[in-house]
Amino acid sequence: MMTWLSARRAVVALVAIASLYVLAAEVGHGRLPDRIWMGAHYVENVQLLPTWRSLVEEGTFLIESNILLDSIAVSTRRVALGLLLGSAAGILLGLLTGSASRLASLADPWVTFFRFTPALALLPLYVVWFGYGESSKVLLIATNVAVITFLGAHHGVCGVPRVYLDAAASLGANGWQRFQKVTLPAAFPSIFASIRVAAGLAWVTIVVAELINAQMPSLGYLLALAGAYPRVPTMLIGLATVGALVLVFDLLALLLHAWGTRWMERAA
Amino acid sequence: MTASASPPVLEAVEVSYAYPGPTPTEALDRLSLELKDNEFVALLGPVGCGKTTLLRIFAGFLRPTKGSVRCGGASIDGPGSQRGYVLQEEAIFPWMTVRKNVEFGLLAKGLEPFERRKVSEELIRLIGLAEFEEAYPKELSTGMSKMVEVVRVLATDPSILLLDEPFGALDAQTRQRMQDTLARLWAQRRKTVLFVTHDAEEALYLADRVVVLSPRPGQVKATFAVDIPRPRSFETRFSPEFLALKRQVWGAAGLGVSGGG
Repeated sequence: MMTWLSARRAVVALVAIASLYVLAAEVGHGRLPDRIWMGAHYVENVQLLPTWRSLVEEGTFLIESNILLDSIAVSTRRVALGLLLGSAAGILLGLLTGSASRLASLADPWVTFFRFTPALALLPLYVVWFGYGESSKVLLIATNVAVITFLGAHHGVCGVPRVYLDAAASLGANGWQRFQKVTLPAAFPSIFASIRVAAGLAWVTIVVAELINAQMPSLGYLLALAGAYPRVPTMLIGLATVGALVLVFDLLALLLHAWGTRWMERAA
Repeated sequence: MTASASPPVLEAVEVSYAYPGPTPTEALDRLSLELKDNEFVALLGPVGCGKTTLLRIFAGFLRPTKGSVRCGGASIDGPGSQRGYVLQEEAIFPWMTVRKNVEFGLLAKGLEPFERRKVSEELIRLIGLAEFEEAYPKELSTGMSKMVEVVRVLATDPSILLLDEPFGALDAQTRQRMQDTLARLWAQRRKTVLFVTHDAEEALYLADRVVVLSPRPGQVKATFAVDIPRPRSFETRFSPEFLALKRQVWGAAGLGVSGGG
């Protein structure tokens, strides 16, 4: 009931913003300059705010030429792979350090170290290490995702109330049973929340990585190419596509989170 | 010297406990206590008198600084399912259904699903929660959750029950209902029970023997045998002998002296 209501509100908000844009574009049509100075020369025929007609036109072209769908497929695959690899590594490590306090103090400085290292700073290194192909991009996402999910799992495990572990121990559960049946499910909310954050971050990482280390087809390259012409309709469609994909991933992560925490009390 | 028939099921000998720290806090001071087989003993004392500490020592989570604790003659050196321990805090696993909670100890023992089910179904019915069997604890009231915790401990059929203020957080009505449920459970499955409480009426209503502790560091201050026949009922609470005992117990707990009047 509540989720249905908030979903409806989200759709209303999206439609409202899109309508505002269409309105602004119509008003700006013919009034905005269509010639801009690009550093060395003038570019003619720039639509600063493309009308919905030119957006539809451009969209049709991008879809019919398969450019858009191929780009979506390639970028989504990278994000999904990176998310999967990164989460697996991060969560495993976090569960380990969360359960053993000695490991935690060992890992702590490294987590802080990597946590604030911008993805892009790692890109040149990864390109040298793993080449221009898929691996450097997927691993870049995985690294970012791993740091976030590591923190989620680590803090999830550290935050398990001692009463649960005591109760389990006194009911005769051994160390492995306590981990599997108590620590893990109790840490789920924190872990799944971190996966949700990581899913959004993965898209930021991939698009930026593809902008720099650009290859066709990919959403990042589509945006880079649109910037080189420059073609504003293509940019807007590219941005909207990335945004839509982020929304889809976020929704999937949200469903996963809801499943992992279905036993929790929810605010009415 | 008497040739004792059976050794005490649970026994603390001259137990002292101090919580470590820059200025160690003495919680227990040379406390001795013996529980006989199938005896229901209530441990009564003010907040901070070391009741919980003693229970955690019996449960195997703390080691006495001095003295020794034994269970069935053997020294206690860690938690174990023969001493069922219901914590003071709410410790029902919220991510498991009521049934899974009750079956947890049996799962840990490696019992097959159908065997676990047989035990859990009976226990859940016994506390009147059959319709909540597959519900998550978020749907239960505090009293119901606590009862699930009690039968979760009973599922593994321990010889001893250690209950730490199980009904402390309940309103008076629910509390009386839970006491009756517990008394009924205990009548059906005799266990040695050590029941911690700060409520004299609760102690007298449930126990065969009430042990009053002094304020910190805890020592046994007085012991009262409760020779009131079972099953006890609502009327019992107002019988002359019950009220007379209650007066004595309150007196021993120090209330008769300090109470302004």
